[in-house]
Amino acid sequence: MTAGASALRRGDALRLAGAGAALVAVSAVLGIAVNFLRPAATRLPWIGDWSHHVENLAFRAGVPVTFLEGARTRVGATDGVVFDARIPEQYAAGHLPGAINLPLEDVERHLVAHAARLHLDTPILVYCGGADCTDALELAVKLRGLGFTDLTLYPGGYAEWVQYGGATRAGDAP
Amino acid sequence: MSRVRPAFIWLARLAVAAIFLGACVAKIRDPAAFALAVNRYRILPGEFVNLVAIVLPWIELTTGLAVLLAPPRPRAAGAAIIAAMLAVFTIAISLNLARGIEASCGCFSTRADAAVSDGWNLVRNGALIWLALAVYLDAVRRAFPRRAPEAP
Repeated sequence: MTAGASALRRGDALRLAGAGAALVAVSAVLGIAVNFLRPAATRLPWIGDWSHHVENLAFRAGVPVTFLEGARTRVGATDGVVFDARIPEQYAAGHLPGAINLPLEDVERHLVAHAARLHLDTPILVYCGGADCTDALELAVKLRGLGFTDLTLYPGGYAEWVQYGGATRAGDAP
Repeated sequence: MSRVRPAFIWLARLAVAAIFLGACVAKIRDPAAFALAVNRYRILPGEFVNLVAIVLPWIELTTGLAVLLAPPRPRAAGAAIIAAMLAVFTIAISLNLARGIEASCGCFSTRADAAVSDGWNLVRNGALIWLALAVYLDAVRRAFPRRAPEAP
């Protein structure tokens, strides 16, 4: 199987590289043209600013993230706690099953109400509205400051959970 | 043996092309979701994430078509590019697995509920690299046949 490659002469290698460059060039032209022709709502800017994306912020803050499958597993688990960082009105309108509302304001006071269920090493999943909100990340950082050690952010949040058919609960109770 | 080899090469071309043509569809359909998958690997500087998400699926498309339909020279180039892309994908997936990131590889689906990557992705990529290299070597042999030495 190696005979073909080792037998390539310089001129042949250049012709092969030219064919490869042509394939990449055609691909680039197609990709750029199709992106240009897309409706504005789905067109991707050539250079995106990913530095402020919540997943990158979490990475820099050292907060682990999990995605839909991980969130489904944790929501069904009995050994952890799920915190919803949204405001009480949004929480009451719909939240993940078993999630406890813990808005950013006055975290310590709200935590007291759930002290019996919480230890510093309790696995905690935090979420908020979706990929555009940072409240859950801020909550995770705040909880870490209070000494909690097993924190995970679900950046997809409530929006993604609902989009993919996840069960929800309404009202003030988890 | 002489009948088995051409059949194997044809099957390899079909398999590699089918997988790459299948893989590009979801990425072309939803480039924003694919950009998020690319970002999730945290390998590229943020400035290059969108450009890769825009162009890479089309490289998968053209190289897949080249492996299936093109004459030997562009077919060899396509197979070489596919093998190189697979090597990069394999390193990227390995990095995510090593970091403990429970993310989908973004290979065939950009949906949030796509299967999370595991060791199986690495095995599959290894097999695909082997097939792509077999196609490459066969195509190179056909594109650049060895000249017989001239008689003295």
